[in-house]
Amino acid sequence: MSRNSSRCSNSSSSGGDKNDDDVLEGEEPGAVYDGSIVVQSKPFNAITTFLQPPTEGDKADSGSVVSDDVLTDDEKNGGVSPELMVNEVPEFDDDWRSASWKKQKKHVFIMSYAGKPIYTRYGDEDQQAALMGVLQTLVMYFSHMAEPRDTLLCSCAGGHKFVFLGRDPLILVLASHTDASQNQLTMELMYVYYQIISTLTAKRIRNIFEKHKNYDLRRMLSGAERQINNLLDATEHDPCFFLGAVRCLPLELSVRDTIAQAMAQFSKVKDLVFSILIAHNQLVMYIRLKNYALHPIEIHLILNLLVASESLKTSETWTPICLPLFEPNGFVYAHISYLDETCNICLLMITVNENLFHTLSNCRRLIAEKLTHFGCLKAIQGSAKENKSQYKASDVGIPEIHHFLYKTKSASLLTSPMYEAPYSSQSEQDRLLSLYQYVHQRLHNSRLPVRLLFHVGKSEALLGRVTSGFELYIAFTPFVSKGAAVNAMDKLLRWIKKEEDRLFIRNSPTI
Amino acid sequence: MTAKKEVSLINFFIFNAKFGPKEGDEHKKILFYFPHSVPLDTKIKQIGLCEAIITFTATFTDHPCESLHTHKTRQLFFQAEPDFWTVMTLGVPSIEKIVEGQTHTDYREEDIQDHVYRAVLQQTYNLYRLFNGTFQSTLTKCDIESLKQRLDHFFSKYLVTLRLNQVDIMTVFNGVQFLPLDKISYLRLQCFINQMEMIFPQIRYSVVLYNNHLVWSGLEQEDMRVLYYYLTASLLPAITEQDFSTAPLVTSAEGSHFGRFVLGPPDLQNEKNLGRISRVHLAGCEQEMEECFLVVYRALGALMCLLIQGDQQLDFDLFQKIDKFVGPQLSAIASDIAELTSRKNPSSTEMQFKYVYFNRMNFAQKTSIHTSNGLTPSVSSDVLRLIADIHNDLNTVTQVEDGETIVKTSNDSWIVGKKSDQREVYIIIHQKNANLIEINEEVKRLCSTHFNNIFFLD
Repeated sequence: MSRNSSRCSNSSSSGGDKNDDDVLEGEEPGAVYDGSIVVQSKPFNAITTFLQPPTEGDKADSGSVVSDDVLTDDEKNGGVSPELMVNEVPEFDDDWRSASWKKQKKHVFIMSYAGKPIYTRYGDEDQQAALMGVLQTLVMYFSHMAEPRDTLLCSCAGGHKFVFLGRDPLILVLASHTDASQNQLTMELMYVYYQIISTLTAKRIRNIFEKHKNYDLRRMLSGAERQINNLLDATEHDPCFFLGAVRCLPLELSVRDTIAQAMAQFSKVKDLVFSILIAHNQLVMYIRLKNYALHPIEIHLILNLLVASESLKTSETWTPICLPLFEPNGFVYAHISYLDETCNICLLMITVNENLFHTLSNCRRLIAEKLTHFGCLKAIQGSAKENKSQYKASDVGIPEIHHFLYKTKSASLLTSPMYEAPYSSQSEQDRLLSLYQYVHQRLHNSRLPVRLLFHVGKSEALLGRVTSGFELYIAFTPFVSKGAAVNAMDKLLRWIKKEEDRLFIRNSPTI
Repeated sequence: MTAKKEVSLINFFIFNAKFGPKEGDEHKKILFYFPHSVPLDTKIKQIGLCEAIITFTATFTDHPCESLHTHKTRQLFFQAEPDFWTVMTLGVPSIEKIVEGQTHTDYREEDIQDHVYRAVLQQTYNLYRLFNGTFQSTLTKCDIESLKQRLDHFFSKYLVTLRLNQVDIMTVFNGVQFLPLDKISYLRLQCFINQMEMIFPQIRYSVVLYNNHLVWSGLEQEDMRVLYYYLTASLLPAITEQDFSTAPLVTSAEGSHFGRFVLGPPDLQNEKNLGRISRVHLAGCEQEMEECFLVVYRALGALMCLLIQGDQQLDFDLFQKIDKFVGPQLSAIASDIAELTSRKNPSSTEMQFKYVYFNRMNFAQKTSIHTSNGLTPSVSSDVLRLIADIHNDLNTVTQVEDGETIVKTSNDSWIVGKKSDQREVYIIIHQKNANLIEINEEVKRLCSTHFNNIFFLD
């Protein structure tokens, strides 16, 4: 594994891009050495086309393997157990058409092709059955009755956007009062759709609805409700989702290499496909079988699973999970365990073989031993304490920069500093997020690709830059001059380059 | 093998749901539908669909529904008057490729921008209202059948003239090009107008244009914009065509001048023919719309519009008097202005500088990239769409009072949009290997020479 002589074509030029300012993939600060860690964030179109059919026979048909006793509890419940909704749903009137219901920024409705309600973000979906009926009629009109056949995409009214996604046999609708673009909102709906797939597999859903058009899918989804709610909340506060990138825990290169070696050594088990170490909701290390890779969306789903389920923390868990982009029609199995008492460091091993629990349990023990022996766990804990895993914008040493987002394209990894003044409150952070979304959509939505955007507003100046190798979004003080902004950007890129070994995963071994 | 399809008009209709609330009465909701050949059933379904969407969006917001996007179409809604909806459905431009026997159609949704085409919808309604008054007033004064007739009469003719692939940011602005005069000419014009309005008390308002630029207007801003659009988009192009085919100028009995009526008696010797005179409805600033006769008189490059009280009977005598008074004076003013503008013209540096300017306070607009034949060749419609997007961002998404957005595209075109104190300017610079600082300097230089009396924030 030789290191590339990394050359960042822009870090040396002053005053911005004198020459061809495109930074090629693989040459940006933080680029990976060999192969990609995570599959290229696919362009929007590729993700929204229908999922690929199963490729290998032996991985297929795991649908029936999920033991039915997991389901009997749900089948007893007619609908959603109210306790799951209590924490997520704010107080408002029972009448779902009340003013407070309307004021919510983002509503999500899921129903079957037959119009049967499955999920609503706020309120009780049975009460909203009539509304869902209307949505279903609208979607079905265009796809089944219009001449020529068409697809309903979205509707706009003032500041509201209503985005429709039909994925046979489900219909997902998002009613949003944010500034996100239609593409960004459709992406969020795709995330919700993939979340459902990851619980049930695409094949199973299709089969059920083929046999019973009127099936009430809620009977199989009671746990997933909480995960969907979590996912939606996360999309409102975290830029990872619309950027299609994963956050990675900053760690010294030596520690990370040790972890990589330890994990790789004990992951060379037949049928083990991925071995992932996560700490504080960020990726630490990721070992994969050659020729296979996880998509950032799947990593987000895994993170969501960990966040949403308290029960996983108590002991080693063996759970089926469907990875929608890896294999949408079948389950893979995940061995999940926490390596420390505070339950912040999680080791996941994913395999296609349902009988591998004990083998993986053993691997886990060996890995945990080795990591403890070399002090890696302590290092991770230490790095997480007291601002070390999260650096501040002021650490970078450029006073004009208040905050930034940097995404490497070759690895789909994201790094950003902690929020500081003037973004200390949640509302300010959310406002900044919607501004980043605006820059992102302007850079990606036009028929004419935009490479650089500089916007001066009332409270900040924003810079967005897209090259083949990275995407960079910076929030400056509004009084920054253009010259200072360009210099600051160059300085920041140099700083990221200097810190790249610590901020990103440079090496991802294959087994 | 690729086949390109431009944006097309699929249908255009106007309906009011209150006219057919019961089942079986749905056809009564339809006030106008284009194309006429579509079966009634389909029309009813379309309207039902629109109603469903409008009701659905109303569940969440009081803001009326604006658009419906599907893969292949774009439907735009405009509630012209309470409960009266105008809806236009466009076919999304597409590129068809035949690869290995399989047809692949790529629909380019980004090529249709909602706010641009809604501006078209609004414009068509404004124009209808100029000539026919509001829907509601026709209903109260006459009945539903006459409303339907009027709609049919106007829209059937107007819709075929729409050039949908030439719509851009200027349609959104819907502004007016002004021609500022020097002090003397302006005062002369002012005196002339005052005199005229004293002599002819029936004249309520007057408007003077020179060469498609507005020189003087006595109308309210809203009416002015609509009338200006009508004159520059419909009437004047029609006149210039006529000019090439008709007889030479008519000279009046007393001395010769170059004036004649465009909307009015074509031949002042012939008493019988009053010519085409339109009735227009002006919104003004009152609740009720005011009806006037629109008489248009032309002398050399100057065009004068006289809005005469609508309750009068027009007689030939009046026109003769107008011709006698207005003709010589207008011709003199026109030739003065001609001299003025020819003196100002040799500033060819303007050519290099590509920009679009708009002032929200007086709706003044200026552009150096639009010519009478369309866009200057160096500016692509993609760039214009980006300008429209930036305009939208500055006004709605980022909601800045004053701000600036600079964008660089992948083919080295820089677009700088500045918004300051109700004025907006969008400058296009094409320069390879430039960076942000250089472009900023260039823009500052241009603004100081061409917009030196306007303060734009840095």
